[in-house]
Amino acid sequence: MTRYLRLLRLFFRAELQYELEYRLNFVLEIVETAVVTATSVGAVLILFSYTTVLNGWDLGAMLVLLGCFYLVQGFGEFALQPSFEKFLENVRLGTLDFALLKPASPQFQVTLRYFRVAQLAQMALGAVVVAVGLSRIPAIGLAEAIGFPIALICGFVLIYALLVALSTFAFWFVRVDNLMALYWSFMDAGRFPVDVYPGWLRVTLSSAVPIGVAVTVPAQVIAGRLDPLGLGFLILGTIAAFILASRFWRIGLRSYTGASA
Amino acid sequence: MTEAVVDVRELRKTFRVTEREEGLAATLRSFVKRRRKDVNAVAGITFRIDPGEIVGFLGPNGAGKTTTLKMLSGLLYPSAGDAKVLGYVPWRRENAYLGLMTLLMGNRTQLVWDIPAADSFRVLQEIYRIPEDRFRAAVNELTELLELQELVHKPVRNLSLGERMKVEFAAGLIHSPSVAFLDEPTIGLDISMQVRIRRFVAEYNRRTGATILLTSHYMDDVVALCKRVIVIHRGRLLYDGPLADLAERMAPYKIITATLHDGAAPSTDLDSYGTVVSRDEGRVMLRVDRQVAPERTARLVNDLGDRLADISVEDPPIEEIIDRVFTSEQATVSA
Amino acid sequence: MIRTYRALLVAQLQAASQYRVQVLLWMLFSVIRPVIFLAAWVAVANAQGGQIGTYDVRDFAAYYICLSLVSCLTASWNAYEFEYEVRFGRLSPKLLRPLHPIHYAVVENLVAKLTQIVPLSIVLVFISITFDARFRTTPAHVLLFVPSVMLAAALSFLSGWVLATTAFWTTRVHSVSTFWDRAAFIFAGQIAPLALLPGPLQAISLALPFGYVLGVPAEILRGGVSPSTALLLMAGQAIWLAIFFVAFQRVWRAGVRQYSGVGA
Ligand SMILES: Nc1ncnc2c1ncn2[C@@H]1O[C@H](COP(=O)(O)OP(=O)(O)OP(=O)(O)O)[C@@H](O)[C@H]1O
Ligand SMILES: [Mg+2]
Repeated sequence: MTRYLRLLRLFFRAELQYELEYRLNFVLEIVETAVVTATSVGAVLILFSYTTVLNGWDLGAMLVLLGCFYLVQGFGEFALQPSFEKFLENVRLGTLDFALLKPASPQFQVTLRYFRVAQLAQMALGAVVVAVGLSRIPAIGLAEAIGFPIALICGFVLIYALLVALSTFAFWFVRVDNLMALYWSFMDAGRFPVDVYPGWLRVTLSSAVPIGVAVTVPAQVIAGRLDPLGLGFLILGTIAAFILASRFWRIGLRSYTGASA
Repeated sequence: MTEAVVDVRELRKTFRVTEREEGLAATLRSFVKRRRKDVNAVAGITFRIDPGEIVGFLGPNGAGKTTTLKMLSGLLYPSAGDAKVLGYVPWRRENAYLGLMTLLMGNRTQLVWDIPAADSFRVLQEIYRIPEDRFRAAVNELTELLELQELVHKPVRNLSLGERMKVEFAAGLIHSPSVAFLDEPTIGLDISMQVRIRRFVAEYNRRTGATILLTSHYMDDVVALCKRVIVIHRGRLLYDGPLADLAERMAPYKIITATLHDGAAPSTDLDSYGTVVSRDEGRVMLRVDRQVAPERTARLVNDLGDRLADISVEDPPIEEIIDRVFTSEQATVSA
Repeated sequence: MIRTYRALLVAQLQAASQYRVQVLLWMLFSVIRPVIFLAAWVAVANAQGGQIGTYDVRDFAAYYICLSLVSCLTASWNAYEFEYEVRFGRLSPKLLRPLHPIHYAVVENLVAKLTQIVPLSIVLVFISITFDARFRTTPAHVLLFVPSVMLAAALSFLSGWVLATTAFWTTRVHSVSTFWDRAAFIFAGQIAPLALLPGPLQAISLALPFGYVLGVPAEILRGGVSPSTALLLMAGQAIWLAIFFVAFQRVWRAGVRQYSGVGA
């Protein structure tokens, strides 16, 4: 376990060094995330120019939700997307071999290898939006303050598990880099509370594709709308999702044969 | 008898590939339904390798060499057959086994493109759990043998192909594996870099006693490093034995080279001694059957007398033998 | 030229047949965002007694279904591939062939749409039943929609290429297209029908090209504008198309010169 943490630190440091070499890119990427966040806040404001509540969520709660959305999405782009992109590329080119030749978990080596440090800015902006939203909510209890980070971390792990599961299909279908694009589109659904969606989509977003849960639940927790029982279910579900996804990945790996070279 | 390091029995790998035809109609059809076909990449091979050996694994393109090495290093599940390396079944991919072996591929890189190799080494140290002192010793030794010095501090993308290969070797051997599978380690390198890599492999084998199975299309690699070779073709084993005997078994003839003082006037009739392969500037090369080589040589010396400046009897060049093996094999297959 | 296109078409279909699953994914791509905002507007409308401006819940459904269809038919993604090719020197071999690289992209684009249109229609029928969409479409609207969506597709394709061509000068096409996409997010009719953009945003959206790619053809198909207004909006489309056509030719020529100058 500590070995894996040390490895993570090594990966992160290498990435940071590399990104800082290209300062302009680094800055531009931060500006991009700022524009993206600002336009999304704009979209919420446009909706709220016609109403004061949306399915029981007022503007403050909606902003908290949007902030959570960017926290989760920023986490995805910072810690997950880079590795998964490389992973799919390696499957396509048949160059995944090296990770399989090492005496360490292939899943770890493949899925947590690369980072995009500049995307931490998106998480920071998400936190800012959450803070702005909170300033419109009267009072936050201790339980909410503790539950929020737990729910958020569950959200991160859920997104990770989803990506692991999705990317497993690459072992069979080879070219599924667009699953990534699909993932981002579904991710988009997280910007509104899951309960605005019609039944079939809501079910999808809270089970098969847990993006809705990953974003909505933390926002519910801090807005004081979730009981401890719900939080308990979230934790259990997250652990289960993680284990199942890892299993699935290992099954996929077994059928990976690599391209001829 | 010592325990074999590599012990392969009747190993097979069949790939299933989809076929596609040309033309619009066929394409549309394949959109719905695909035709499949089996490729026998490795069709049942058996061999053993003893500790400390360097064995050359030869065969033309598509013979099944890489496929075999991938099975031995645990990357591929075989379709049938057994293999043990160091007592482990490779495709179980036990960590204990992975820590004892390495697979290096000349056309692949395991280094991260954008960061210096030294950083990748650190990662490998953690992955292989190499204690700091052993890590330093290994890095120092590899740096010395491969003349790495400042190379490891440049981002990998800025290295030349040959430099990268050296660093690649260091990365692959940093955990001091006792078995190394080298798949075309000198591919694309210039002659002097090839020589250096060869020298390194030999020295590494001498120092560590590691067992090495190596494929290469450069016969110089094989001649310089391998006393023993295994030849496969279309997934089948054609020859397994000393490199020196390969010629005897596979090429039933020898080459007599005679140099004449008077420049071998075209009028000189040599056809009666053997098949004239080439004739230029007083040098004549004759191909003769192995059994009659001594007798023909004696006759040549006798008949040409003082006109002869030099004469030698040799096996044909190794490339030629190999080429002959494969083309004749193809001939028998197609016949 | 027709034979060239035929050959390219076969090659592309072949490539597409290899990635059957991917075709379905791409199709969902153009459905997801419209459905998200549709759901949000339905929630807003319900909170306001079912009516926002001239739209009720069923109008929103029709609008976003049309938007989804239009966004599939006008999708253009070649900018990203092109940037990749320029950056890694893959463009040179294509420039050597006697066919402008844009033709490869046109064919690829057409093939992608051809393969998506059937599954997309099925999904859209399903959604329109779920949301009980009401279309105000007349035959005139359908007649106007066909040229309008073609103009939109051409506009989207060309503007994508102009963006992509900036790869000749800068390695930051990604930033450029991010800003472009975010502007489209606000002004193209994605987050709200153009008519519902508050105050000055609506005027701005009519002056920018984004709405003419998505919102305008979608409203025409839904029957949300009168045929005469539709003609006016289509004139806007034509003007922007002309602007991008000229821009593309200029930028491309200058770009190729720049590219060969660098000798990549
Ligand atoms: N993943 C795969 N899928 C389908 N066929 C494969 C695959 N890998 C290898 N093959 C086929 O198996 C055969 C043996 O390939 P292999 O790579 O082992 O050859 P090789 O001896 O290493 O050749 P080379 O000298 O060209 O590297 C070839 O016919 C190849 O096309
Ligand atoms: Mg090979």
